[in-house]
Amino acid sequence: MKVRRVTTTEQALEALAEHGSAAQPLAGGTDVMVQLSRNEISPDVLVPINDLAELSTVETNGGVRVGALVTHETLAKGALGSGYRSIAEAAHTVGGWQTQAVGTLGGNICNASPAADTLPPLLVHDAELELRSSGGSRTLGLEEFLVGRRQTRRAPDELLVSVGLTPGAPRSGDVYLKVGRRSAVEVAIVGLAMRLVFDRNEIVSKARIALASVAAVPLRVRAAETLLEGEALDGHLLDEVSAAVLGATSPIDDLRASATYRRLLVPGLVRRAAGVCARRAGVSSPVEEAYQ
Amino acid sequence: MSSGISFAVNGRGVTAQIDGAATLLDVIRNDLGLTGTKEGCTEGECGACTVLIDGKPVHSCIYPAVSVDGHSVVTIEGISDGETGRAVQEAFWDAGGIQCGFCTPGFIVTVAALLENNPAPSEDEVRIALAGNICRCTGYSQILDAVEVVVSGKERA
Ligand SMILES: Cc1cc2nc3c(=O)[nH]c(=O)nc-3n(C[C@H](O)[C@H](O)[C@H](O)COP(=O)(O)OP(=O)(O)OC[C@H]3O[C@@H](n4cnc5c(N)ncnc54)[C@H](O)[C@@H]3O)c2cc1C
Ligand code: FES
Ligand code: FES
Repeated sequence: MKVRRVTTTEQALEALAEHGSAAQPLAGGTDVMVQLSRNEISPDVLVPINDLAELSTVETNGGVRVGALVTHETLAKGALGSGYRSIAEAAHTVGGWQTQAVGTLGGNICNASPAADTLPPLLVHDAELELRSSGGSRTLGLEEFLVGRRQTRRAPDELLVSVGLTPGAPRSGDVYLKVGRRSAVEVAIVGLAMRLVFDRNEIVSKARIALASVAAVPLRVRAAETLLEGEALDGHLLDEVSAAVLGATSPIDDLRASATYRRLLVPGLVRRAAGVCARRAGVSSPVEEAYQ
Repeated sequence: MSSGISFAVNGRGVTAQIDGAATLLDVIRNDLGLTGTKEGCTEGECGACTVLIDGKPVHSCIYPAVSVDGHSVVTIEGISDGETGRAVQEAFWDAGGIQCGFCTPGFIVTVAALLENNPAPSEDEVRIALAGNICRCTGYSQILDAVEVVVSGKERA
């Protein structure tokens, strides 16, 4: 296996163009290095991109644009601001400090694990990915980008450059809740992100719900979102929302938990998430207290 | 195919020839002979291999050696030369935070990094910082005691 050393994004793109699917971008390496040692991947050429400063910035004027190399540690510290707490919360649960200091947002996205923690919160913020090749750039919604377990629409010659997020809104709240076997360094048994925007009358004007570890890829549940939009939060409505979430997901049995256990977790997570979103949006909600 | 890297280890400039997917741990232990850093799981799970890169703790067993080119690495050998590191080592000794000792270099590197960033962490902050380090002997409470000894600046009675 060769290493192709680059110092600019353009050089990295040239290397990818030259070697195509035989090349593997290497960001923090927390997935790549483990997959290499388990012989799960066998690229001919590694292209380290960890020092490309251009991909390491966060812009927060108006909308938010996050460079692909921004680390979980930076995100967990709240670099995106108070409108994106679900992303900070998710980044804070990615492994321990050593993993967060090295692992990047772009790596979490491109690795496309069903359990990737930052993906549900990125989905609820309508993340748009900027993909670049030596031929040019394109923008793709995260939902469309994710195809299946560890499968994405990234072309072999493309780098993920940055992630654009929808601008924050007044009276909005977001949250990421993760259930694991222990409280730290644990892969999600279920991860749920929610973002709710309320109008002046405390009616939900926009809802986003996305989950990890309940299907081959993290996914948004539109049917559940539609149920919430135009309504005020109440316990009965949230039961319907949970049913819609369960209808749209296909959890599996694995060594971490049974499918049945995963399904049992969903209603509690939905109610708690809705309560936290309401509180963070500054909206009075009977939901959280009643169900916690 | 090998590739040359140069970086600082414990303040000293070094160069190494590495193979494509060599890990930083390989280079530290095999090329540089710094065997204080331990190899446990080799999958980023246990923290025995923790070193600092530019002041941040990383699992050197899954850190690509090529990526440290131009950066600064501190291993347990370098930590023991610093004031914070010495204090942490002594506190582990005093509080019984060491049994078999295999996890100890990793813990001490991580604790030293925490205290450099935050000299007075709460117990919660200590627990969170140490979540990526596993000890199968002590049950952790003596390790938390050791950190408390350093933070409070007090000797244990
Ligand atoms: C001990 C441990 C615990 C972990 N815990 C969690 C956890 O709790 N939750 C979780 O979600 N993940 C977890 N992970 C997985 C991993 O840390 C994350 O997925 C991380 O975000 C990957 O980022 P990276 O920079 O290390 O990616 P890399 O390993 O460098 O790359 C991952 C993949 O993305 C590709 N890639 C990376 N950057 C780009 C780019 N800019 N453009 C195109 N392709 C790119 C690579 O080619 C590779 O296929 C854990 C890993 C370890 C070792
Ligand atoms: S040996 Fe590196 S984390 Fe276990
Ligand atoms: S002292 Fe033995 S593993 Fe920690």
